[in-house]
Amino acid sequence: MLTEKLMNVETGYFGEFGGRYVPEMLVPIMDALRDAFVRYYQDEEFLAELAHLNETYIGRPTPLYFCQNLTTRLGGARIYLKNEGLCHTGAHKINHCLGQALIAKRMGKKRVIAETGAGQHGLATAAVCAKLGMECVVYMGAKDYERQRPNVFWMERLGATVMEVKEGGQILRDAINAALRDQLTNPTDTHYLLGTVCGPHPYPVMNTYFQSVVGREVKAQIMKQAGKYPDYLVACVGGGSNAMGLFYEFLDDESVKMVGVEAGGEGIEEDSRKCRHAARMQSGYPGVSEGFKSLFLQNDDGQIKDTSSVSAGLDYSGVGPQMVYLRDIGRVRFTYAFDDEVLAAYDLVARSEGVFPALESAHACVEVIKMAPQLSRDEIIVFNCSGRGDKDLFIVAPRLAKDNFAAFLRKKVDELGR
Amino acid sequence: MKNQQIKIMSHLVAGYPSLAESEKIALAMAGAGVSYIEIQIPFSDPVADGPTIAAANRHALDRGTSVNDCFELMTRLKERVSIPLLFMSYYNILFRHGVDAFCARAAAAGCWGLIVPDIPFDEEPGNGYLAACAKWGLNPILVISPITPPDRLRAIGEMAKGFVYCVSGFGITGQERNVSDETRDYLARVRQHISQPLALGFGISSQDQIVAAAEVADIVVIGSKIINLYNQGSETEGLKNISDFLQIS
Repeated sequence: MLTEKLMNVETGYFGEFGGRYVPEMLVPIMDALRDAFVRYYQDEEFLAELAHLNETYIGRPTPLYFCQNLTTRLGGARIYLKNEGLCHTGAHKINHCLGQALIAKRMGKKRVIAETGAGQHGLATAAVCAKLGMECVVYMGAKDYERQRPNVFWMERLGATVMEVKEGGQILRDAINAALRDQLTNPTDTHYLLGTVCGPHPYPVMNTYFQSVVGREVKAQIMKQAGKYPDYLVACVGGGSNAMGLFYEFLDDESVKMVGVEAGGEGIEEDSRKCRHAARMQSGYPGVSEGFKSLFLQNDDGQIKDTSSVSAGLDYSGVGPQMVYLRDIGRVRFTYAFDDEVLAAYDLVARSEGVFPALESAHACVEVIKMAPQLSRDEIIVFNCSGRGDKDLFIVAPRLAKDNFAAFLRKKVDELGR
Repeated sequence: MKNQQIKIMSHLVAGYPSLAESEKIALAMAGAGVSYIEIQIPFSDPVADGPTIAAANRHALDRGTSVNDCFELMTRLKERVSIPLLFMSYYNILFRHGVDAFCARAAAAGCWGLIVPDIPFDEEPGNGYLAACAKWGLNPILVISPITPPDRLRAIGEMAKGFVYCVSGFGITGQERNVSDETRDYLARVRQHISQPLALGFGISSQDQIVAAAEVADIVVIGSKIINLYNQGSETEGLKNISDFLQIS
């Protein structure tokens, strides 16, 4: 069973990918975390608390919504949107944040650290830490810090310390490296709340477990609404957490086809140091970095390349090991969407359905818009709207409403100056 | 002279500030009487290094330093110094080149041992890394920390060759740590399980600390301090700073 293979708590390998390639001093820490996860994910009291907070704190189940207008407009498959944007803090990230923080608390950890790209994982971590009374430090690449400034503000209001990482390309990967260094310096009292299905074992299996609630809900919801399973599942893939969340429960149902969408950025082009995209499945090579073996965008010397995407959450040079395994066995098809297509899809979904997808999720929308007209009305596509797009105001507004936005900002600056 | 007794392993990043300077730094170290030189092959994501060495990695890569350059540097140095020279890097560098092919080239260049912090000894079934080191006659220097449990210490003691690298306290390279009673106890505990010589590293930044560390360890590792010494003053002054620091009087 594929679901069992991808929940390999024993070694954390999926085919040749995964593992825990960490300095020796982190080995006991990762082993202890794995043991705690194995204990609690089979513990009734833990699962009861998680279920209770999923409902009352996060707001689960999130709606599965039939996109009638988009379906009519595209004239093909019926399109459903799983609205993870309605989770508390605005994205699916809080699913694994809550789960991990509840484990960390039981392990006696006092301090939680996290990396963040778009800021959604950092925001969700800050929220659960505020709720559970734990100290919270979030590492964020300086480039992401600038382009996702509203989330920096919200994290700080939630009591978190946001550390701007000025090393390397100043994006998600550099934030992960900084968080790993913090964990090396503070191995016993600190839990590293890693925010996707990457990193050393047990993070990929643990986050897959906590995210799998998404697909479980979709199964029940689509049966109720449409009386059959979806024909296609579509999700964007940065590290792969929202995709694993949607896909996992359906992996053993072979009739359900799956598509992952990576960031095509400005084009699938690169030099020896930097990519204009973040499409690991297109030009990545097997490698070992940030604690796990997977595909990485890297040069012939093994140096990891900087990446580029309009969405900070997909702007990452590595990808979850389970994702690569699923591609290699032909279970998930991978494609990519360019930045300009993403902005057009963002607009189309907003105007058709009154829903702002996050720029990350809008990558999935691009593929849905391409696929739907090719399919029949009997077929169903479910895509994961992994987050809501209002966080992207400062990226979208300058591109889609530049003059109005500039005038507004100037007025606000004038008011503040007075 | 005390430094006749104190064994030091000093560290440099190949290509920082340039390959030509790296060669001069290594020669200055050898001239000052160190026992081992650790040559770091720069990597884009050096997670086990502190800010000073991480920045030197970035600088070396920005200058275009390649793995091939590092092999050539090793070959040139091997012709001029007789002490053991080691490569330190991260596993992806070996993995991308092919672990066996990398080890073959390192050995051909005259490398004595490898320090690769992010490949735990038990990570890969039939550990290709340790096998390749054995095949090409390289010493795989394994790293341990104060929280390494006894069963892992024993396993490392059985597999280690050359010496074992003991991280002196929690943390990444470049942070100051005194040689405390804790460190003394730590090395005593390690010696119960490991018979190889012990190198103590991470955070040694004064000559007093070197002398103190040498009381408990067989080899004292000097890491980011070298870069800080080099960066104080002109190029010539930098080399002299390194040379003076390493000659413990």
